[in-house]
Amino acid sequence: MLQIESLSREFGSFRLDNICLEINRGDYYVLLGRSGAGKSLLLEMLCGLIKPDSGRILLNGNDITHLRVQERNIGLVFQDYALFPHLTVNDNIAFPLRVAKMQKEEIAEKVMSVAGAMSISHLLERLPVLLSGGEKQRVALARTLVTSPEILLLDEPLASVDASLKDNIKRLLRRLNRNGQTIVHVTHDFDEAISLASRVGVIHNGHIIQEGKPEEVFTHPVNRFVARYAGIKNFFRIVIDEEKGMSHGITEFGNIIHFEDQKHQGRGLVIVRSNDCELTRIRKPVPNSIMGVIDDIVPMASGYEVAVNAGDFIFAEISGREMEISGYVIGEEVWVSFRSDAVQSLNDKEDNNINNR
Amino acid sequence: MQHHSLFNWISAILASLVLLFIIAPLAGMFISSSPAEIASAAMDDEIQHSIWITLAISFCGTLIFALGAVPLAWIMARRPFKGKKIVQGIIDLPVVLPHTAAGIALLGFVSRDGLLGSVAQRAGILLVNNAAGIAIAMAFVSVPFLINAAREGFAAVPERIEKAALTLGASPSRTFFTVSLPLAWRSVVSGLVMMFARGMSEFGAIVIIAYHPMTAPVMIYERFNSFGITYARPASIVFILVALVFFISFRYLASERSPINKTEDNAAD
Repeated sequence: MLQIESLSREFGSFRLDNICLEINRGDYYVLLGRSGAGKSLLLEMLCGLIKPDSGRILLNGNDITHLRVQERNIGLVFQDYALFPHLTVNDNIAFPLRVAKMQKEEIAEKVMSVAGAMSISHLLERLPVLLSGGEKQRVALARTLVTSPEILLLDEPLASVDASLKDNIKRLLRRLNRNGQTIVHVTHDFDEAISLASRVGVIHNGHIIQEGKPEEVFTHPVNRFVARYAGIKNFFRIVIDEEKGMSHGITEFGNIIHFEDQKHQGRGLVIVRSNDCELTRIRKPVPNSIMGVIDDIVPMASGYEVAVNAGDFIFAEISGREMEISGYVIGEEVWVSFRSDAVQSLNDKEDNNINNR
Repeated sequence: MQHHSLFNWISAILASLVLLFIIAPLAGMFISSSPAEIASAAMDDEIQHSIWITLAISFCGTLIFALGAVPLAWIMARRPFKGKKIVQGIIDLPVVLPHTAAGIALLGFVSRDGLLGSVAQRAGILLVNNAAGIAIAMAFVSVPFLINAAREGFAAVPERIEKAALTLGASPSRTFFTVSLPLAWRSVVSGLVMMFARGMSEFGAIVIIAYHPMTAPVMIYERFNSFGITYARPASIVFILVALVFFISFRYLASERSPINKTEDNAAD
């Protein structure tokens, strides 16, 4: 449906470089990246507010790269909603319909219909300044959806919404997508990507560094940057030493890590998820068991994250119940153990290419 | 705390002196003229006529020049281009020029041999000693007030709101008239009021281009020269009162809080 071919554009010292993407009809595509990664600029290029230096944008096979913004039928909802402050909710939603010179009756009908779908019918006579963040978000969505865009572009749609309202908006977005609306959503939030995306792309410093289904991207991150996004904190740079068919590496602090994934030769980078790490006071008879001192204990929604200093810092997630039973305290010696198949290797070369880690 | 208090006292005294400096000559003028003299001046046909043409020409000139000044303000607020600082310098130039020098420069431009004057004459319009010439002189010295106020108003409109209008299918011109201009309207009106007020008080440039028809400032000067201060003073008072009434009314209209801002305050409460 939407093909982006080698799209590049320079903005002073920043460059969106050779962006290639294909978004299919019905996709919920989440573009994940830090602020300043070029996400919003890419959206503005897709809808025609910014022209690329090179590359092409094809919508349903038609080259729309140089088409005017008004003629693309791509809707964009801005992060801060960009509602017209001098117009009521009704007039905000009716704005694109009046621009399209529709009949008054048809405008009223469409506004009522989209307002009903967005549950904002009771807000139609209000000015935007009197709306909450969630209500503004719904009005901004309604104003864009009333144009029946081929693709709905969302710029950080949940960034300015209260935490309590995020689930509501997520449900709304999932429903829109289920009803056939193709959505491209940019965010810096990994959880949003996991809970909404049918496909995800990770953008960093103007490059798309990994793309695919969310489960693929986050279970097999290509580099440290994507792994960090997936919430992984345990990274070990190792020197490989093969032994008995099972790979075996030594970290720079001398800890030995066994793994089954044999991608590396010589040197490499491996990751272990915190929830794959087990904490005990006695050494467990498993290949990966490392002794260290508890450096910090951080409460989390689902339990505790314990940081263990073993030269390398190792993070282990434990449940609240386990903490209650074991009563770990900062400064005590513990063993961290994890299975060798829980160790994943990362593409070290790509990792080295990522700046500003 | 004492230092604070001393500082406040000194600030208050200095501020009062400046206010007194502005008010005292005006108050003195009112005190020196009897109500009968002021009433007589107010009934004087010549004074009435000069005040009327001053207000009318300044008002019309402001509206006509706004047609170009407002788009220029929008360009200055929104469009990046080479030499923008030079253009801004040109816009501000009339404010720093001696107004008589501006009058001399304009005279060369609007006289029969001048660039604009010769074109106007071919169309049957004489700019020197004419209302059109007065409007040009007034606009020359006052249009920077409109451009700068409107430019600040447009700059304060979030660009994303204009971009949103474009993505919703609006053309750039529709975006300007339905989004940018309404949102910058208060600043634009404030600029119009300032331009109008500055235009009607202009003397230096006008007296060189058009002694006749006599605007109020020229008429006051002429009375002062011919009959002395006693005759010039009541005319000045009448003009000041009328100008103040218009200025305060326009200013009130311009600064009257829009429903958007009123509700914003209520929401904040």
